[in-house]
Amino acid sequence: MDVIFDNLAIGFATAITATNILWVFIGGLLGTVMGMLPGLGPATGVAILIPITYGMNPSTALITMCAVYYGAMFGGSRASIMINTPGDASAIVSCFDGYPMTKNGEAGAALAISAIASFIGGTIGMVFLVFLTGPIAAAALKFGPAEMFSLMLFALVATITLAEGSLLKGVIAMCIGFMLSTIGIDPLTGIIRFTFGVEELQDGIDFLVVMIGVYAICEVFKNYKNLDTKYSLDSRSIGKVWVSWAQFKKCILPMLRSSPLGFFVGVLPGMGASIATFMSYAMEKNLSKTPEKFGKGAIEGLAAPEAANNSCAAGAMVPLLTLGIPGSGTTAVMLGALMMLGVRPGPILFSQFPEIAWGVIASILLGNIILVIINLPLAIPLVQLLKIPQRIMLPLILGMGFMGTYFLNYSSFDFILVMAFALGGYIFSKLEIPLPPLVLALILGGTTEQSFRNSMSLSDGSLAIFFQKPISVTLIVLAAVSLVYSLLKRRKYAS
Amino acid sequence: MKKLFAVLMLIALFATAGAASAEWKPSRTIELIAPANPGGGWDMLCRTVQKALTDEKLVEKNVIVVNKPGGGGATGWNYLKGKKGQGEYLAATSTLIMLNNLLGKSELTHHDFTPLAALQTEWISVAVEQDSPWKTVKDLFEAIKANPSAVPVGVGPTLGNNDHLVFLELAQANGVDPASIKFIVYPGAGGEIVPALLGGHVKATVIGLAEVLEQHKAGKMRVIGVSSEKTLAEILPGVPSFKEQGVDVVFPHWRGIIGAPDLTEDQVKYWDGVFSKMVETETWKTLVKNLGWDSFYQNSAEHKAFLEGSTKDFDELLTQVGLKK
Repeated sequence: MDVIFDNLAIGFATAITATNILWVFIGGLLGTVMGMLPGLGPATGVAILIPITYGMNPSTALITMCAVYYGAMFGGSRASIMINTPGDASAIVSCFDGYPMTKNGEAGAALAISAIASFIGGTIGMVFLVFLTGPIAAAALKFGPAEMFSLMLFALVATITLAEGSLLKGVIAMCIGFMLSTIGIDPLTGIIRFTFGVEELQDGIDFLVVMIGVYAICEVFKNYKNLDTKYSLDSRSIGKVWVSWAQFKKCILPMLRSSPLGFFVGVLPGMGASIATFMSYAMEKNLSKTPEKFGKGAIEGLAAPEAANNSCAAGAMVPLLTLGIPGSGTTAVMLGALMMLGVRPGPILFSQFPEIAWGVIASILLGNIILVIINLPLAIPLVQLLKIPQRIMLPLILGMGFMGTYFLNYSSFDFILVMAFALGGYIFSKLEIPLPPLVLALILGGTTEQSFRNSMSLSDGSLAIFFQKPISVTLIVLAAVSLVYSLLKRRKYAS
Repeated sequence: MKKLFAVLMLIALFATAGAASAEWKPSRTIELIAPANPGGGWDMLCRTVQKALTDEKLVEKNVIVVNKPGGGGATGWNYLKGKKGQGEYLAATSTLIMLNNLLGKSELTHHDFTPLAALQTEWISVAVEQDSPWKTVKDLFEAIKANPSAVPVGVGPTLGNNDHLVFLELAQANGVDPASIKFIVYPGAGGEIVPALLGGHVKATVIGLAEVLEQHKAGKMRVIGVSSEKTLAEILPGVPSFKEQGVDVVFPHWRGIIGAPDLTEDQVKYWDGVFSKMVETETWKTLVKNLGWDSFYQNSAEHKAFLEGSTKDFDELLTQVGLKK
């Protein structure tokens, strides 16, 4: 234990210098802006920084890049909350309750709680990183294809139980999501599936294109009908960017539960913040005494995923620092930049370059404090946007949506897709088919399919593999229990 | 007056003649197209070239890197294809420009562009668990021959890539039926394969050396062979190449630069001059070393001949293993 504190002291000594604080501030601000713009995510932000890091010493370079990463996690949900357009994949879930809060006139509270939850998630993530890196990295290695598939199964079941109204409609939405996820080159065989000769579909459909379509653009369609109605807001409540104690109290437990969950998902190879946020949202809705309020502006439904995505970002540092392998697209860019500077992260980074490893860990706390200081005042001008009349706001959202779509792949073909999904989303909302199961199935579809097929290859086609491994069995049992529980709950409501 | 006119005409004539014979030079910002997202090999190549060209002042114009991901390179390359005759547009390339076509994923080949240079290579390695009984490539393939089902091999991000082909070549050379090998495909490539091998979910992997080098050095897994000609004495002493182990497989995973279609001889000459100088600079050498690459320079003429030869080899191999479309 003493060793940890000694190391932490080295870390803080490395992290807290005037230069680093300046760079964390600049990086955090850049990341926040990157995160706010739909389509531009942390990976792009870090890539932009690479030329600037050439002149830095490696620890300052890594600390600056981390600041961009965490900044994007803070900023990503701004557009989700204000205009129903997720800034990046990890901010999708923040739309579910963040945007309804804005419509209810609570934009200030939503922006404030998202910054606070991000801070708490990031800080808890950092504490985990300090004390649990070793055992958690070892546990993550136990996740083979079978365990991965069972985890996917659990996440999917949890989302189905989320669905409002008819369970059947939730399943339909999920199946559509799965079908969409099979489009493109199948990595396991190299065969091109369901592209109908359209070359642009070879890489599959980017789920952010779907998101921008079914949420942002579709929202414009919906609002077009009542163009001249204004949000029922009075300007005084707009200006207030803070949460009441009653609101905060509702969020404490969800934030404390979601942070460890997000951290662990971040450590797993091939898992992203989007999965962490979905799982934390599903968990909170299932645990809530008032699940019917979720999706209609429940503040805890925003706080939980916000905490999860920030602790997930801290978790993603575990494979980078302990194994020298990237746990996400962003950490892959960081790895490249570090190698250009002559530092090769590997399993011995902690003993080889302790000042870098511990400096980064210490900088997470520093970064989170600075980011809260940046983000809370930033919310004040943001909420003023709500005063803009719909006639101006809707075209702006449309423009932002299209810009974000283009930034994803620099492909004009995606414009056709985004419009198709916007129309599809509109039809779905008329039919009352829920969208979250569709989006999650689309995100998880590839991993679910591949982990299932890899498991089958490993076991020579025997399903027993899922029941031979303790972690896998536990997850399957959890999935079964949550399905039965939610079916029983539904019956109780119905009767 | 007439005389003056004649003199002026003469000057004008000389001026145009002079301009025509003068060497070509970029007249605007140079665009390096990385046909992939930031963080990958192509992106890193473009960023190192950008740094070397800028720091060593080898070009007079600004150099920018533009990421155009998609279609296994096709999106970025198609963009370059539209810049016919414009010498300021360059893109990163690799074996994929041949493989994608042979695998039926893309219409493009290197014939659609002006090959300018090969710049660096990485070597592909075969790694096994630290406590594995297999010490050489032959040991591994004996085990696969005896019971293929007991030796899952991790590969990624997709079948038909360089790493996969190396393993198929090794299998052929060792008399193992490539179809019998139990490949477990990880779309997340190294990020998923390394933990899978550390966790014992696969028993062997074929993967870029850089992704397992530090694990090998730290004693977490064992590299049992590399695709280079000889042992890489500087970075990986003590691990013989496949060829030295008596398996005749040499496979560079090279990366290089292609220019827009129909570049003139002057334009090609200009870039030959720039790249041949660049690979000799300290900046470039240091970056290559830091990134764990090996130098692999070919000028435009050598590279073009190399591409022709490789295309034929790949065609044969892919036809034999039944992957050719």
